[in-house]
Amino acid sequence: MSIVAAFLVPGSPLPMLRPDNLPWGRIAAGLQRAARALAAARPDVLLVYSTQWLAVLDELWLTRPECAGVHVDENWYEFGDLPYRVRVDTELAHACVAATRRIGVQSKGVDYDGFPIDSGTIVAQHFLDAEARVPIVAAANNLYHSPEQTEQLGALAAQLAHEQGKRAAVIGIGGLSGSILRDEIDIRADRIARTEDDQWNRRVLDLIERADVAGLRAVLPQFRAEARADMGFKHFSWLLGALGGRFYGARTHAYGPVYGSGAAVVEFTL
Amino acid sequence: MAQGQILAGFLAPHPPHLVYGENPPQNEPRSEGGWEPLRWAYERARASLDALKPDVLLVHSPHWMTQLGHHFLGVRNLSGKSVDPIFPNLFRYTFDLTVDVELAEACCANAREAGLVAKMMRNPGFRVDYGTITTLHLIRPQWDIPVVGISANNSPYYLNTKEGLHEMDVLGRATRKAIEDTGRRAVLLASNTLSHWHFHEEPAIPEDMSQEHPARYDGYKWDMRMIDLMRRGRTREVFQLLPQFIEEAFAEVKSGAFTWMFSAMGYPEIPGELHGYGTVIGTGNAVMEWNLVKAGLVRDARAAVSA
Repeated sequence: MSIVAAFLVPGSPLPMLRPDNLPWGRIAAGLQRAARALAAARPDVLLVYSTQWLAVLDELWLTRPECAGVHVDENWYEFGDLPYRVRVDTELAHACVAATRRIGVQSKGVDYDGFPIDSGTIVAQHFLDAEARVPIVAAANNLYHSPEQTEQLGALAAQLAHEQGKRAAVIGIGGLSGSILRDEIDIRADRIARTEDDQWNRRVLDLIERADVAGLRAVLPQFRAEARADMGFKHFSWLLGALGGRFYGARTHAYGPVYGSGAAVVEFTL
Repeated sequence: MAQGQILAGFLAPHPPHLVYGENPPQNEPRSEGGWEPLRWAYERARASLDALKPDVLLVHSPHWMTQLGHHFLGVRNLSGKSVDPIFPNLFRYTFDLTVDVELAEACCANAREAGLVAKMMRNPGFRVDYGTITTLHLIRPQWDIPVVGISANNSPYYLNTKEGLHEMDVLGRATRKAIEDTGRRAVLLASNTLSHWHFHEEPAIPEDMSQEHPARYDGYKWDMRMIDLMRRGRTREVFQLLPQFIEEAFAEVKSGAFTWMFSAMGYPEIPGELHGYGTVIGTGNAVMEWNLVKAGLVRDARAAVSA
């Protein structure tokens, strides 16, 4: 495999919109540390999966060479706009579209002016590669795909990057626990919504840091159910698939709340 | 100022396929047609709406899903190109809509007073969701009536169906009071499908109607059972069955628009007029109307009620 770096990053736009708010600023600082590690790995392409890009019919892959614009988040519009620019490795993206039939998935490319890039992809791009120096391959979160299918998609994308001789970094964009605070809060006092969620998040992060993949596979179904893990934690499945189910450790650059839900910036040791 | 009133409510689902099939100038992709019975159903609904001559259309859309409370469009003019994130091959629509901000603010204030978290969306760069745009185009393609756009708070999914729909009931009553207080003559649009089981792969030609049918027989039977009750005006039974319908037919009415609309109308026990039913990628879609003027529940001299 030619995966040279791997990261889990949160997709909430709050750290991008309000890094001046201390709880979210800590996440932003963690993302900046991850960006430096990513740059040092000198990838040719970023394999990106965001829980916030939803699909229901077929698997979608971004195939437009460049997308740029200003996005307004549907929840957090009051905090401002999200300018973005992403470049796409269309050669690899088209290869992914063509290849997923191998794993029983029908795919389509997305190459439309004005296509709404999701907040998660925009946030990751902003922090990890603001100048869009490295092209991405972005896959949607088909709501009906299981974690196992998502792992297969990640593995397939990594395999195809390898076949094209590319150094790839894999980025899983999404949160940890999904419980949110349902009332307006003093954002300076943001906190994980439930103590049990905080415990779950720390347990999962500990297993990741110890590279205990078997332990992770054992507890993830419970984590998904009890901590309302963001979209079944499928962004981790994508990453695990791309890594061939193996890594040697991890470093948590940041962990904290984004309006009650759990967010972490994790760099994997390969 | 005369007291405002709700003239009618429409169940007005939002499959972008119907816009795609119609080929309006605002939509980039071109089709060979498709889903005609549903599009003709909307033609009948359009004629009925035209006769009502409302001041404002209020639409509650499941595709503006918000975490923190119930949100209202709060910018006078919103325009741009809406590309459906799920069906970008079918829906790339240039829109330009006018918001009745005064009414939206009244709805928001009433919702807050009723104990809900409610917010006004004031960002002029906001991209209006495709559910709102699709329903509005299908019911009034002229875009000449101001609108109030309301988000679907995720409470039915995040909490549970009962608690979530209770919030929508409160939201409906808050909406009704706002309409009355501001003197508006309003039509409500519940942007929901019925059974929501659907296919997972798209045909090579999306409008190839040889591929279109209910995704599941049990979903179809549920739709017919509910439509039959609605046509007979048995609203109380509809709402008694609603949680089971949602559970067993994966019905999109879970997102709250249908409950919001009926709550605002006071759950009238009047027959709904079925303009048409059809499936889109297997989901069940009914275009239905509850006309409070025709039913004699509202006196409105300005509405030219068709016989």
